Amino acid sequence: MAATMQTDVLVIGGGATGAGVAWDCALRGFRTILAERRDLGEGTSGRFHGLLHSGGRYAVKDPDAAVECIEENVILRRIAADCIEDTGGLFVTTPDDDPAYGDEFLAGCKRTGVPAEEIDVAEALRREPRLNPGIRRAFTVPDAGIDAWKTVWALANAARDRGARILPYHRVVEVLRDGDAVVGARLHDERRDEDLTVEARFVLNASGAWAGQIAAMAGIEGVEIIPGKGIMIAMNHRLVNTVINRCTMPADGDILVPIRTVSVIGTTDMRIADPDELEVTQAEVDQMLDDGERLVPGFREARALRVWAGVRPLFQDTKAEDTRDVTRAHAVLDHRARDGVNGFVTITGGKLTTLRLMAKDVVDAMCAQLGEERPCRTHEVVLPGSEDHEPYHLGERLAAKEAHLLDEQLVCECELIPRSRLEATMRERATTNLDDIRRSLRLGMGPCQGGFCIYRATGILHGVERLDAPAANASLRDFLQERWKGVWPILYGDQLRQARLDDWIFQGVLDVEHLPA
Amino acid sequence: VSSPGWAAPSYDVLVIGAGLAGLSAATRLAEGGARVMLIAKGVGATHLAPGTIDVLGYAPSGGERVDRPGEALAAVDASHPYTRVGGADAVAASIDWFKRQFDGGPFGAYGYRGDLRENVLLPTAVGAAKPAAVIPETMAPGDLRDGAPMLVVGFHVLRDFHAAYLADNVARGGVPARALVLERGVDRRPEANSLAVARAFDRPDARREIADDVARGLDSDQPAAARVGFPAALGAEDPHGVWSDLEQRLGRPVFEIPTLPPSVPGMRVFRTLRDRLRSHGGRIVLNSQAVGAERSGARIESVRATAAGREVTYRARWVVLATGGVATGGIELDSRWRARETALGLPLHGVPGPDEPRFGADYFGAHPFNAVGVAVDDGLRPVDGGGARVCDNVLVAGATLAGARPWVEKSGDGLSLSSGHRAAELILEENR
Repeated sequence: MAATMQTDVLVIGGGATGAGVAWDCALRGFRTILAERRDLGEGTSGRFHGLLHSGGRYAVKDPDAAVECIEENVILRRIAADCIEDTGGLFVTTPDDDPAYGDEFLAGCKRTGVPAEEIDVAEALRREPRLNPGIRRAFTVPDAGIDAWKTVWALANAARDRGARILPYHRVVEVLRDGDAVVGARLHDERRDEDLTVEARFVLNASGAWAGQIAAMAGIEGVEIIPGKGIMIAMNHRLVNTVINRCTMPADGDILVPIRTVSVIGTTDMRIADPDELEVTQAEVDQMLDDGERLVPGFREARALRVWAGVRPLFQDTKAEDTRDVTRAHAVLDHRARDGVNGFVTITGGKLTTLRLMAKDVVDAMCAQLGEERPCRTHEVVLPGSEDHEPYHLGERLAAKEAHLLDEQLVCECELIPRSRLEATMRERATTNLDDIRRSLRLGMGPCQGGFCIYRATGILHGVERLDAPAANASLRDFLQERWKGVWPILYGDQLRQARLDDWIFQGVLDVEHLPA
Repeated sequence: VSSPGWAAPSYDVLVIGAGLAGLSAATRLAEGGARVMLIAKGVGATHLAPGTIDVLGYAPSGGERVDRPGEALAAVDASHPYTRVGGADAVAASIDWFKRQFDGGPFGAYGYRGDLRENVLLPTAVGAAKPAAVIPETMAPGDLRDGAPMLVVGFHVLRDFHAAYLADNVARGGVPARALVLERGVDRRPEANSLAVARAFDRPDARREIADDVARGLDSDQPAAARVGFPAALGAEDPHGVWSDLEQRLGRPVFEIPTLPPSVPGMRVFRTLRDRLRSHGGRIVLNSQAVGAERSGARIESVRATAAGREVTYRARWVVLATGGVATGGIELDSRWRARETALGLPLHGVPGPDEPRFGADYFGAHPFNAVGVAVDDGLRPVDGGGARVCDNVLVAGATLAGARPWVEKSGDGLSLSSGHRAAELILEENR
């Protein structure tokens, strides 16, 4: 007999948008349940470059988006400081770019309220010595780095503190209809392998690139999301300490973001058929490396750690009456007005920087349908962990470790993860999936790509979760495979050497391939 | 000095690489009377490998476990590097020679056991049963073909060895096993690697305290374990003494189980062969990386190596290349997908074309690039794509050789030892 839960709002999708929607709903006093088919932030949110936009990128091409970005940039710095590293950003005119665009850029920033200022090339090179010395102009903007997983979890935890239920690994198998209204969904708990029915007054579809699939389950056709694939490559250290953008119309491979201990180059844009099929091709890798070389000479000599692809939800409404909906950065689809279906609103498109605004817009649309006046407050309530308004500082990890240098052991040297923290996270997440732990702690994300810590973490997980041998073995093998996925398309140079050392450990020393099943 | 770098004196043989292949070649050559110089970028793969000589653990063709490595060697494909090395007889000769190197070595009575007749099955640090032909005596009682119950001792401080997880898998594999994790510290540090633990075991007082803890754990154990496994850290200086002492104190067989690197048993191999090389008058220079060679026709006249910021030119009649594969820097692939042999620029065999896959998406699957290496003829001389010798006085040994899949086959140490030894024998024969 499947369990049933009642709630005011069911949010479908556990990315940044869904978590933001759940937080907004909870803050407005709605009883809220969030369902995510995998782990929080495992989809598009966890697969971007980590850039908190200043709006500069859109200042010329899409002024509305630029205005949204700078407004949200300021708000997020206030409410989610702990998730943000205030790196600042630079727009630079490389030898391949038209210096005249810089004037358009400055004018656009001025119009849209994005603080931008031209600085001497010499000053830009002083700040970022590895930048291409051939750059001709440089402009500062308030870009920043943002940790997507930390943000998603901060939002989810804030929602949970206000009574929301957060359900990762709960896949929607059926959207429940009662006449012309959506009244909930049947979920499948992937970890317990059982169904759960959620009866809800309202369902908010925040499933991003998968929003069309969810809408179709609700019997609504024509919500066409065109998945736009973008690849990113993480380089093994911070080649720059400031976000670097090419000062040109937005294109491929023109952003380099320092995030935590690495820097990420992105990205491409290719329309694909299925958001779950994200292949990385060699041509894309070559293109990214060449683009990196243009920003930072010698880029190809640095170690490429990992490549991944994310999928943007590009929305094109087949029923759009107002073309502004197509050009806007994100789209709220009120299915009562659009399709005659009550109790169901979709939010899609957009970007991580505007997640709060997207949440606000979709919850506003719901409140309008319900005829309830509950004003949004997410712009003024600080998220847990950010109460001191201090942005994240890279040196914090080292400072925290140094204080306990002689008290406890490190499990992952690359990411400075102490054993106590790993054990606490394992208990908190109650998971046997080391990839979940990776998203929480960045386990195995450094230069050795898990060579040492995967074994250690498995041994510790075996104890903490009281796993039997087959379960622990599965955790280890799955994590190895998961790591390999992002590694093999970019194996060259020292990182290939590292991968072979890891083979040596896992196959030569441990013989993991012959563990009992 | 007019030359671009300092010219070092001339040698009979220059060996490049200080892993098992290079050390074996150099030591055997020096023993045979050659004037030998061994240069290497750093210590070799001995410090990574578990210290067992795995000759062939799984069939190169299919992956069935090999129980009788001698027989399996006789059946390997003609393209396999073991065929170039000379097959089972040459491998057996290298093993006999290797075991003798420990007599009167720096570790006293410590030595190796086993031969090509059968593989033992040793527990790894995850508790898998790994086949090996020739093993340190200190690992012998761990053989999982013997079903006697075992206690596996771990240390909370040693992150690189998880006894409970290991014991769980061993038990799953059919041998009763239980774990005892000691909370005691090592030198009051929160974390220690295997070498630090090994140094603690060398100290009689620390060893006695550990043995007392284990003995208490054994007392409470019903039915009692018939043998006790420890991380492979039973002494950095006196492994035989530590091992025998523990067996005596605990009243039952004791054995070592390899940990994550650094490998203490591997270090014992390194020191044993290095000392032996020196005792025969051979020289060894680390932190010296071969970066190129001067050729004259089909011969290499000298090898250029960087050391302490300058270049040194080594002249030698023979060169043994034993720099290893990708893992140790012997072979490189750059970001434009060009592969090269880094020391002498020898032709590489099996390099996937620009549009062919280098690696596959399945971690445990086959990866074309893993078989890349230098192909050799029966004289271990490098050959080009058409099978013609490209160098008369260069012999190639170890993981640089094309065609092996050492991790998959569990053949890396056997191949390194036998090819290094064989290269030495070939050179000595030509000079007889």
